[in-house]
Amino acid sequence: MPRYFANLLSLLLLVVPLVSADERPVVRMATTTSTENSGLFQVIQPVFEEDLGIRVHVIAVGTGKALELGRRGDVDVVLVHARPAEEAFVEAGYGVARHEIMYNDFVMVGPPDDTAGVRGLQDAGLALGRIATVKAMFVSRGDDSGTHKKELALWKDAGIQPQGNWYREVGQGMGKTLQIAGETQGYTLVDRGTWLAYQARSPLELLVSGAAGLKNPYGIIAVNAKRFPDTNHQAAGRLIEWFQSDRAHELIAGYRVNGEQLFYPVGD
Amino acid sequence: MSEIIHYSNLRKSVHGELLLNIDSLVINEQACVALSGRNGAGKSTLMRIIAGLETPDSVTVTLDDKTLSWRRACQKMRTHVIYLHQNPYLFDCSVTDNIAYGLRRKKLPLKDISRKVSDALDWAGIGHLQLRNARELSGGERQRVAFARARILSPRVLLLDEPMTNMDSEAREQTCRMIRRLREDGVSILLATHEYHTVAHLCDAHLSLQAGRLHPQPLEQDGEERKIIPYR
Amino acid sequence: MDSLSAATSESFRLLFSGDADLWVIIFTSFSVSIRAIMIAAPLAFIVAFLMAHLRYPGRRTMIAGFSAMQSIPAVVVGLTVYLVLSRSGPLGDLKLLFTHSAMITGQVLLAFPLLVAISHSTFQAADQRVWETAVTLGAKPYRAFFTLLHEIRFGLIAAFIAAFGRIIAEVGCSMMVGGNILGYTRNIPTAIALETSKGEFSQAIALGIVLLSMALFLNGLLAFFQGRGVMSS
Repeated sequence: MPRYFANLLSLLLLVVPLVSADERPVVRMATTTSTENSGLFQVIQPVFEEDLGIRVHVIAVGTGKALELGRRGDVDVVLVHARPAEEAFVEAGYGVARHEIMYNDFVMVGPPDDTAGVRGLQDAGLALGRIATVKAMFVSRGDDSGTHKKELALWKDAGIQPQGNWYREVGQGMGKTLQIAGETQGYTLVDRGTWLAYQARSPLELLVSGAAGLKNPYGIIAVNAKRFPDTNHQAAGRLIEWFQSDRAHELIAGYRVNGEQLFYPVGD
Repeated sequence: MSEIIHYSNLRKSVHGELLLNIDSLVINEQACVALSGRNGAGKSTLMRIIAGLETPDSVTVTLDDKTLSWRRACQKMRTHVIYLHQNPYLFDCSVTDNIAYGLRRKKLPLKDISRKVSDALDWAGIGHLQLRNARELSGGERQRVAFARARILSPRVLLLDEPMTNMDSEAREQTCRMIRRLREDGVSILLATHEYHTVAHLCDAHLSLQAGRLHPQPLEQDGEERKIIPYR
Repeated sequence: MDSLSAATSESFRLLFSGDADLWVIIFTSFSVSIRAIMIAAPLAFIVAFLMAHLRYPGRRTMIAGFSAMQSIPAVVVGLTVYLVLSRSGPLGDLKLLFTHSAMITGQVLLAFPLLVAISHSTFQAADQRVWETAVTLGAKPYRAFFTLLHEIRFGLIAAFIAAFGRIIAEVGCSMMVGGNILGYTRNIPTAIALETSKGEFSQAIALGIVLLSMALFLNGLLAFFQGRGVMSS
């Protein structure tokens, strides 16, 4: 009788992780899936963890959720790319201050045969207008993410209310959205980083880039310690400072995907 | 013959109907009593009550000249009374482990336990089966294991619920032999049966359970009346 | 098709080359799920036993309740646990969100109804004579309980395996309360979800193979124990 339980117990002990006594403080960061997927963090995370002597737990979700995590105090710092939402976040007292640390840009991709004829346009609004006119398939993130908010802002500036069968909101991350657009031969708005990572695998092509209005600034915000006194605000502050350091700028600018620079650091 | 335990005014209702209505029942040392009655008369229920497996609606228990509450009486008697089901249940392990089951809780040294088990196996004549899984045995063999398992604990009272059911004549013989030997060991036995004649030769007394009441019966052997156990 | 076979062979290479990231993910999965089931199972068995053997008001409702709770989707459990453990939630001060503990909590809640429902049937089907025999031979209630567990062990093992199969493969709850943090709370299902969404199919397939093998193994084990259970009773 006791034999069973002895066996089970030893099995249990086998898998209880030998909890490495890691004394480093933990900073929780909420960021977007596209940021994590860009691969930038694979490069900079080991560096800032070592430089600052901290461990960073990165939770990658949609922008909306990342900000919500910040509002709820479930993370110590938020790094997203949705400026109006970030400013509102700080305004409402959830965050200490917004620091713009880098930007990348959005591009529009679509089917090689470009039925809407947007290739090479330098005006995002114009491109969207043509897509709406021919009712070409357009795949939207539809998930309140930075990319989604950007997309909605562009439609608004163009004075168009996208509706109809041709406009599909998928409620998914950027990678999935690209896959869906690829499968349905549709147009979509994507951040350059994700596009560079997917390019080789996608049947779509880059059609509009460098246009005015497609810049995508990233802001980092420390969650307000007054609201949540036990957030690791000290370490969060140091992390934010790190992002503004020369070392960080060097790493960020030096990061390449397929030989192309992805992010442009911003001096504060 | 001295008295072990005395139950008075034992009442038990089942599904709203009065099943047992016994004014007095005494269990004596070293007696072998047959409890007969038709199926459904309440023999099993009565035995299970004595075993402490069921609770009567009301009863007065006297033990060693002291009146005890039902619960107290059960506690005191638990180690002295063993109940054997009509088809005794053997645990899913070896015959040896089955027999040793009751001993394990007593925390005896292993050597003592194996010696006792060895003796029990010999007593029941099942030494050759000691490592077999108890579930694989025939009906007769299982009966012997069950008896050995009970005997090894030296009970004062053994309650046998229809031990001869579904037995071929050889198995019946064996069972009778074991019961006789248990009597010789000084165990008090209460034997429920719906076929009294099969156990008549084993018993000192015969109680018949009818309409919830116990009626002492004359023994059929020797044509003599031997009344040893009270009664109603 | 080409890319599928290329991805698959790459995935085998990843698995057998001892790719550290991959194995951390596999280890996390097992570590979390095994701890969760080790917490849920004993509790569930005790509850199931009491439900089978005691008569108390509301018992029927409880039995029906556990049966119904089996169907609660993992995401719903995940959402609930998240809301409770969030810093803004009632148990936020415990700081459990996005840790192994949160994942274990969620998985315990997922496993528990399943364990209770299946083991309850097992206890109900158990021979009444087991308990009585144990008790009449002098066993105290807790010892008789363990004896009973031993006698019906195959049914209980089946419950255990079914519940483990559920929690090791679920993604809805682990994702929400664990946060899918690289090197920490990323387990096999959440990693598969992530890698697939990134188009990293070889990683996803590698993990899928592990999960599939585990599922097949568990099912085989389940069939074995259920068979044993039937034959020996």
